[in-house]
Amino acid sequence: MNLIKSTFTNAFKNIFRNKLINFLSFGIIAFTLLIFGIFNYLTYSLDVFIGDFSRNIEAIFYLKDDARQPEIENLITELEENLLVKKVTFKSKNQAEIDFSRRFPELEYALSEFKDSPSPFPASLEVTFRQENNIDIKISTLIKEVEKLSIIEGKEVNLDWAKQVTNIKKFISVVGFFLSLILIFISSFIIFNVIKLNIFFRKDEINIFRLVGAQDWYIRFPFIIEGALLGFVGSVVAGILLFAALKLFPAYAAFMFNIVKGMIDFEDIPFNIFIRLILLGTGIGLVSSFLSLRQHLKPSND
Amino acid sequence: MIEFYHVYKQYVKSQFALSDVSFSIEKGEFLFLTGASGAGKTTLLKLIFKEELPGKGQILIDSENTNLIPQKKLFKLRRKLGIVFQDFKLLNNRTIYENIAVPLLVRGIRRPTIDSSVNDALALVGLTHRKHYIPAHVSGGEQQRVAIARAIVANPKILLADEPTGNLDTELSIEIFKLFERINANGITVLIATHDDHLMQLFPRRVLKLDKGKLISH
Repeated sequence: MNLIKSTFTNAFKNIFRNKLINFLSFGIIAFTLLIFGIFNYLTYSLDVFIGDFSRNIEAIFYLKDDARQPEIENLITELEENLLVKKVTFKSKNQAEIDFSRRFPELEYALSEFKDSPSPFPASLEVTFRQENNIDIKISTLIKEVEKLSIIEGKEVNLDWAKQVTNIKKFISVVGFFLSLILIFISSFIIFNVIKLNIFFRKDEINIFRLVGAQDWYIRFPFIIEGALLGFVGSVVAGILLFAALKLFPAYAAFMFNIVKGMIDFEDIPFNIFIRLILLGTGIGLVSSFLSLRQHLKPSND
Repeated sequence: MIEFYHVYKQYVKSQFALSDVSFSIEKGEFLFLTGASGAGKTTLLKLIFKEELPGKGQILIDSENTNLIPQKKLFKLRRKLGIVFQDFKLLNNRTIYENIAVPLLVRGIRRPTIDSSVNDALALVGLTHRKHYIPAHVSGGEQQRVAIARAIVANPKILLADEPTGNLDTELSIEIFKLFERINANGITVLIATHDDHLMQLFPRRVLKLDKGKLISH
């Protein structure tokens, strides 16, 4: 117990003895883990977003300007009676304009151009489908049939969106994976070399410890703890920075925020992300310091 | 306690640092190891605490053949020994108290025991008033005494000292030798490497004399 306490104390003291090197490494490790955390959070958020999308298949059918009211009502009735359809909502041209103003207040000036003319937005039918078992094909067929009707101008189906977002997510995952590999390698390399430097700086101390009867683990353990601490503190700092970056995102990137706020959750950041970061950082620290010790701290000469 | 059987040590091909050295030291003995510079005194001490390995021959410490001690068990041999190095080997980023406490810390001794043992050792070498200083801020003689205190603090069976008075004036050297006598009086085997004939005359003990790596008197 005393030995363990003493090795931990040594590890903490040693970090403060080589302040400059250790604090520089904390910074670089924190930065690399922050980049890892951002990519991790992006892929997580997009996963949730795609999941939500796929749960509620929705289609918006835009109506031609000359579509007559009875034709529209007929279509609504037909759709409501269809077993695949859960809900049909009619959105008038005026309602579409109001919704747009509410969603993009900064583009209000564009609408002022049409102040004296009718709303530039088409009326539409928003259709939510029931998604039970495997009925995607049937829904697709129904969507195609409705699209062919003469009163329909065009359509937008969120499944298409989901597919596009999935592609973006795949791209981000691949980029994130390779970037993370590089960043993890950089972090490991830094810790590996910091431990190497610390071994070099403490060469005399190590020798004295050996000569007065220290066991090998007593000499090695503080270096392992130092490596783990470098990774741990680096990842905690990265976690705090990630939290701040997500919380402050609306303030420093307001325009971007409006575009991505539906896809990325800036409110409920799951704690798992931080746990993962800390485990990764500490793990990198442990493994790198272990490898560095194997390479640079040979057993005494026998 | 310490037995050498036909021990050879060679650093370079053409020259033996030690050649066919055999002797034995009894438990509780106080003796000198002497010889001119380069005679092999430091090498012989290094072989005892296994910082060097013999080229040939056997070394027994406390009846244990050091050649057969695996690296993992080396700490056990070194815990039987207290070593005073020629260059002191003190940690300059730690206080005198912390330097003396190192052998106890690595053994996992509890803090109150460390406190009392270090304070006893400090009192024995007369450095209680310097315990919070760092080695660089005390004189060479005081550093020497710190090294001695560190060597004896964990109650070793054998005390090895390599030129412990090399940097000291005669008066202080006599004080240090008297200190070794007191340590020896507690049953600790003491082996001192020195080339100071005057001190050896003042403290007449058995002498192991080396000349160019050969033991010429024991």
